[in-house]
Amino acid sequence: MATDLRISNISKIYPGCIANDNVTLQFKSGKIYALLGENGAGKSTLVKILSGVVSPDNGEVFLNEKNLKLSSPLDAKKNKIGMVFQHFNLFETLSVFENLSIDATEDNKSLRVRINEIFKKYNFSIDLDVPVLNLSAGQKQKVEIIRCLLRSPKVLIMDEPTSVLTEQETEELFISLKKFCDEGILIIYITHKLKEVLSLCDEVAVMRKGKVVSVSQTQNEKVETLANKMVGQKLAKIKKKINISKNKDEIFKVKHLNFYSDDPFETNLVNLNFSVKKGECLGIAGISGNGQNELFQILSGEIITPDTSIIFRNKEIAKLNPKQRREYLMAFSPEDRISQAAVPELKIYENVALNNFKSSNFFEKGLVNERKIKEHSKKILSDFSVNTDNVELKSQFLSGGNLQKLILGRELITAPELLICYNPTWGLDVGAINYIHETLIKINDQEKSTILISTDTEELLKLSDRIAVIYKGKLSKIMPSEEVTPEKLGVLMGGGSID
Amino acid sequence: MIKIEKRNDVPMALYFFTPFIAIILTILGGGIIFYILGFNPIEALKFYFITPISNLYGLSELLLKATPLCLIAIGLSFCFKSNNWNIGAEGQLTFGAIVGGGVALLFYNQEGFYILPLVILAGAIGGMIFALIPAILKTYFNTNEILVSLMLVYVSKLLLDYLVVGPWSNPEGFNFPETRQFSDSSRMPLLFEGLRIHAGIFLALAAVMLSWFILYKTYLGFQIKVSGLSLKTAKYAGFKGKTMILVVFMISGACAGLAGVGEITGPIGQLHRMISPDYGFTAIIVAFLGRLNPFGIIFASLVVALTYLGAETAQIFLQIPKYTGQVFQGMILFFLLASDYLLFFKVKILNLKKNELRH
Repeated sequence: MATDLRISNISKIYPGCIANDNVTLQFKSGKIYALLGENGAGKSTLVKILSGVVSPDNGEVFLNEKNLKLSSPLDAKKNKIGMVFQHFNLFETLSVFENLSIDATEDNKSLRVRINEIFKKYNFSIDLDVPVLNLSAGQKQKVEIIRCLLRSPKVLIMDEPTSVLTEQETEELFISLKKFCDEGILIIYITHKLKEVLSLCDEVAVMRKGKVVSVSQTQNEKVETLANKMVGQKLAKIKKKINISKNKDEIFKVKHLNFYSDDPFETNLVNLNFSVKKGECLGIAGISGNGQNELFQILSGEIITPDTSIIFRNKEIAKLNPKQRREYLMAFSPEDRISQAAVPELKIYENVALNNFKSSNFFEKGLVNERKIKEHSKKILSDFSVNTDNVELKSQFLSGGNLQKLILGRELITAPELLICYNPTWGLDVGAINYIHETLIKINDQEKSTILISTDTEELLKLSDRIAVIYKGKLSKIMPSEEVTPEKLGVLMGGGSID
Repeated sequence: MIKIEKRNDVPMALYFFTPFIAIILTILGGGIIFYILGFNPIEALKFYFITPISNLYGLSELLLKATPLCLIAIGLSFCFKSNNWNIGAEGQLTFGAIVGGGVALLFYNQEGFYILPLVILAGAIGGMIFALIPAILKTYFNTNEILVSLMLVYVSKLLLDYLVVGPWSNPEGFNFPETRQFSDSSRMPLLFEGLRIHAGIFLALAAVMLSWFILYKTYLGFQIKVSGLSLKTAKYAGFKGKTMILVVFMISGACAGLAGVGEITGPIGQLHRMISPDYGFTAIIVAFLGRLNPFGIIFASLVVALTYLGAETAQIFLQIPKYTGQVFQGMILFFLLASDYLLFFKVKILNLKKNELRH
């Protein structure tokens, strides 16, 4: 029987963020649908609504014209909606069979028979009696899929399924998904990987900032068109500032930056080499999840990698921690304002003291010099127009824009030679974005350098003198920004190549 | 439908007031338990909370028991504030007592003003070394400090057992599992004739003042505070995470070691199997009841010490086992956690009917 799933006017609002804004979509069995969007675009929330984990503030879900009441994962199960999450929900110490039998309604014997049927049908082979912790990521995912198949689902939702798979495992998964599709299971495939959409899916819906911005046939799309839709590129020409930094000294030079992680949710970095000149802004573009987090942490000294060489103002600093790097006049503004760059429970002046450099005298002989810190904080609040002058205020009461101004102010008041920032305007309103962009341009005017890691192409084209793209932990060649067009960036961000 | 939401702004005053609510609820809960057991609850509670401290001797006993609790809890507050879960203070207390007691036994037949300071110092160092084991394993081998510190409690207790029945047992002691009596020079001076309260209380008070200074006025204290709130931020700020873990465990171990040495050189005067009625574990409750605040801990140690005393009086007058003390300690923690939950979260009951209409 054909399946028809309709999502109608779904909205979900979290404090301070609209996760889903009036989302309407229609799916029919026999096709594989992609739901594409950056991290934070609202895909996961939508999926959680479909699987009953989250209930929407507004809107309805129809399966074959029947209005579904999805108030718990159990409801989703009853209505034959199966779901494989990005992070597996398996008991590591139990065997594969035990994991599968946990919520089964039949006896073990007939369950085994049914599992073996599925194995035969789809060419799976997993030892049912080994503990799950001995399986590879791909095999664990198969266990999750089998768990769904046992309930003969009408709809199968896959959330970022390839993020932990090898190339080989990805291919196998695609073959299985196509088979399921041929058997009439409706497949919704959530991803931010453009190539996968093109090679696997029939139809693609792109989400951005909680809204569905486009629905189209994949045969009419290319990597760059999808990339542009996904990151919200306006194709209009953006005004760039004048490139002022020709023939200047190199102030910062990275050689052989490699990073290997055992954690499948981290991205490995492969042989990154780049340099930054005095007064220059180097932009690093890319779709989030391609190694930006790891790169930022290595540049700031939170992660020390063994064979990397980082030369800053003619000194080797690759082995120094963030505090020591600050002494050489580097400054850092991480992506995560709320749980990394600042602590919401701390007062403003305490957050200012986090950037403690020797000449600040915040801590003399190990003692807190509260008066000094507060004076310094007052100066930051007025110089960077934060909308309070109360240094005793807890940072949690600052808006996102004001908090970011405070953080940038804290980092910049030391007059650093190099500022490394990662998505500095993420989630801010237009006024705050403009202020921060102006501030970043001003730094370059004062002959100080910046590295801007950002997922916002518009911002990168506006601020950078040279741009490189990071894709799957590899850096493209570095291009002068006047030669870069949004289209070129789109191709590189999607893993394509240009010449 | 019930919905749980985080409260954004929790008033500081209320934060420090909830421990009192927890105590009141504990007393009410205790009354109910006594009633079910067939006692007159008012009378039983009087035996529990008033009789023990209605004379000078009782007050001295209260301070005597509060001293080790306060010392250990102060040390633990350094660990807990920085997200290090040292729950092996009982082991650090025991090992401190073994090292301190070992030094006291070396001088068992000697007199001299220098002996007691040596014994105290040895106890602090012993506790410190024992706390360094989970700290080093955590920093260099990624082990879980909760498990390691807890299991080391049993190691030190078995070591003490072995020593008092084996090599250190009193040669004139008719094979009782205990060491020789320490010489008078190894004993804490008594504060009043006829009462057991001793100079160890000054160690505890000094620890309170010192910890307040370190936690609120020094760079180390600032780092502890930030690490406790967000490890990510601590890393970003470039704090030396490993060094800090070692330091807080050393402080915590030293305090527990001091508490142990205070017991054996104070009321006990020798080493035997039962040197501590689980002060090291109970101090965890004290630390949280005192909100990890040095002055809060003084107050909390007095309250919890009273449950020890009350249990003993209740055993004598009501013939109920003294282990009811642990019931009371458990209730305090339970009610504290419960009221904290309601303090930090609000429970909303949504109108179901409205929801139903929509579907």
